[in-house]
Amino acid sequence: MDELIYTLKQQIIEALNLEDMKPEDIDENASLFGEGLGLDSIDALELIVLMEKNYGIKLQDPSQGKEIFKSVAVMADFIQKNRTK
Amino acid sequence: MTDPIYITGTGVVSAIGLGKAATLEALLTNRSGVGQLRYLKTEHKEFPVGEVKLTDAEMRERLGIPQDAVTTRTALMGMLALGEALDEARLTPDMLPKVGFISGTTVGGMDMSEQYYLDYLNGDAHKEYISVYDCGSCSEMTAGHFGRFAFATTLATACSSAANAVIQGANMIRCGEADIVVVGGSECITKFHLNGFNSLMILDTEPCRPFDATRHGLNLGEGAAYLVLESAESAKRRGVAPQALLSGYGNACDAYHQTASSPDGEGAYRAMREALALAGLQPSDIDYINAHGTGTPNNDVSESQAMMRLFEGKVPPVSSTKPFTGHTTSASGSIEAVFCILALQHGFLPVNLNWSQPMDDGIVPVAKPEKKTLKHVLCNAFGFGGNDSSLLLSATAGLRDCETRDDLSVERHCGLDPQSSTRRNDIFILSAKQISMQQPLSEEWMDTPIKYDVPFTRSIDPGFKEYVSPIEARRMGRILKRALATSKEALKEAGCDTVDAIMTGTGFGCIENTEFFLDALSNEGEQLLKPTYFMQSTHNTISSLVAIQTKNYNYNATYAHKGISFESALHDAWLQFRLGKIGSAMVGCHDEMTETFYRIMKKGGVMGQDDERCGEVAVSVVLSRHCEERSNPETKPLCRLTGLKMLHLPTMNDLMDAVTTMLQSAERSLADVDYILTGISGNHENDKAYLAETKTLFGDKPLLKYKHLFGENFTASGLGFYVAAQCLKMGYVPAECFVDANLVSDKRPICLLLFNRSDGNDYTMVLLEK
Repeated sequence: MDELIYTLKQQIIEALNLEDMKPEDIDENASLFGEGLGLDSIDALELIVLMEKNYGIKLQDPSQGKEIFKSVAVMADFIQKNRTK
Repeated sequence: MTDPIYITGTGVVSAIGLGKAATLEALLTNRSGVGQLRYLKTEHKEFPVGEVKLTDAEMRERLGIPQDAVTTRTALMGMLALGEALDEARLTPDMLPKVGFISGTTVGGMDMSEQYYLDYLNGDAHKEYISVYDCGSCSEMTAGHFGRFAFATTLATACSSAANAVIQGANMIRCGEADIVVVGGSECITKFHLNGFNSLMILDTEPCRPFDATRHGLNLGEGAAYLVLESAESAKRRGVAPQALLSGYGNACDAYHQTASSPDGEGAYRAMREALALAGLQPSDIDYINAHGTGTPNNDVSESQAMMRLFEGKVPPVSSTKPFTGHTTSASGSIEAVFCILALQHGFLPVNLNWSQPMDDGIVPVAKPEKKTLKHVLCNAFGFGGNDSSLLLSATAGLRDCETRDDLSVERHCGLDPQSSTRRNDIFILSAKQISMQQPLSEEWMDTPIKYDVPFTRSIDPGFKEYVSPIEARRMGRILKRALATSKEALKEAGCDTVDAIMTGTGFGCIENTEFFLDALSNEGEQLLKPTYFMQSTHNTISSLVAIQTKNYNYNATYAHKGISFESALHDAWLQFRLGKIGSAMVGCHDEMTETFYRIMKKGGVMGQDDERCGEVAVSVVLSRHCEERSNPETKPLCRLTGLKMLHLPTMNDLMDAVTTMLQSAERSLADVDYILTGISGNHENDKAYLAETKTLFGDKPLLKYKHLFGENFTASGLGFYVAAQCLKMGYVPAECFVDANLVSDKRPICLLLFNRSDGNDYTMVLLEK
């Protein structure tokens, strides 16, 4: 799980083009949207693309992202359970 | 309250039909044109679309255009609609040299570029289509099919483009710059934006249901529509009866997000409120609203909020006609304006098809056909980045009131005092900032210019941390960061916290992200495309981002018309200053160029020919009616803008007339002009024409150049404006800028005339004085 979290952080940094950020800078339990990293709806769409590309998980409705993208840890847990690749 | 403008002709093409008769029949019988995708070649068959039911070949045949002639679907649809509008207004080719043309499009020639992109990269096949990639080319092809218009430009504010074309045309007429301006927009469906909207997950796989609780996104559509706007005086003189009146309009920026509307619909509210104010009407005077109503969860909440706020709960009948046509994007503003005019003429409320369940906190739209006499209607069109516009159209039945008033003179239209000296009407340039291949945000080039002997160079970027936080920068291409840096520096130097309007010119828009998206589309296919690239591919991303970052809810517009994109934006500001609508403005121009894009443009003969060098452009200029009342009165204005002319395919006589009238209205003569700043660039043919034409127009006036230092690009003339303004401020012209090294002079410049010929099709002249 720790390995997945670390990889996921790297993938998030790359997908969202978070210049100057390292995986260590992201707290996996902090919220990704709002107060935490301060991501928005477009980032959520990028995360959906990320999940499909890397883990074969297809979300049909962007509103599903609300729960899944609560934090890196929650996202990793969801990926663990639903990944097809 | 302002005088209404007559609409003396209209033409329309969309999924519900070719021409107004078919359109009216469809609207009255609730016949939708949305259905399964037939014409566009794409994998995404799952999305219903509103296509115009003709192939390109069939359109060519109807229009008498040879099958092998270079054109685009956007231009072809534009011609179909424009022909009907010109016929209705009884405008013949011989009259067009006195008529303006303003069109809206964002997609431009992308239909061809997405088909041939790999050919452009790898060989010479289809390279003739490279020159019709940009938005301005589509407008010029559309207009050129009918003759020679006096003036042509292109608005590119995404889905409000056509509505903003209407607004700019109306401002030209009110300012007395033209009696007749044909306005509207055209846009075809492309794989590029179908996939782009899909990456934003806002396409519905079912027919769209605006304002319905179950709505799940939009259906893409396509089409074109044009309106002939005419002054009352001209229409009476020609004996042409108006079909409807344009009695008000508003443009505001939501300044909230690049792709989402604010929850309270601030921009939409302001746009509608301004349209009412201009018409001198109350909310209770409005009988119907043709909503933007795309059917996305976000738009319909935001727009409902704006309407409920403006109409204080008493919202008039509303419908979205997008279930008929799909979302026709850049053309929607004029297509739906034509629907409104049909509704005014024939007394009915268009139905909001597919609606059945009310949404929470939303309006309840017109669900059943209804006959109703309409006097005043609003037509909304909103675009990405919060470029929100609203048009107020009125029935001609109310015409008597304004006919009894005296015909107003140009001066009264304009808020100009005819008795005043030119000085009172001057516009001061408070600041001008650039990022280019010279030292950024600096005037070092005047004494120590950097010289390049390579054909193409990217800009020297300053550090951006001061202007953009790292988290904000995550989705910004370089063009956006440069735009923010020059804008913020220009505002700072001008001592302005805010401005009354932001106008931006860009020939190509955010080309780097467009290229990323095209690469992915061509190489990886139509799955898993990044929304970040798509949302930055619209031209108005730049102007709206500046508004979002500076919290500016005011007027916001983007022009994309080849080599006169900058002057088109400047012209917009110029008109609004003269109308008294604004006291300050920030005019910018921004273009980028990648290695790949440079190679493509060179191959297509668009730029980079002969010894011409290409570069990137970022310029921001703050203009103001006043040079006092600033927080930093120490800084003196750089110069004054005292004249501006724009011409399309002019004869030499037209150019001579333009020089004379521009100088006359500035109370100057040619003798007062010290130097002529030209766009001489190293393109042999163009340079030869510059020398010949300036000789005829200005005799032996010394010529200046700047493109050898800054490079060529569609908005390079904005760098010319910057150069001229700095020379006037500093009181000298660098020796490097003289075309003829034997004529180098240290004569202090007082009055500079900027002469720009864009491929010999479009010309602009700008007068700047100390």
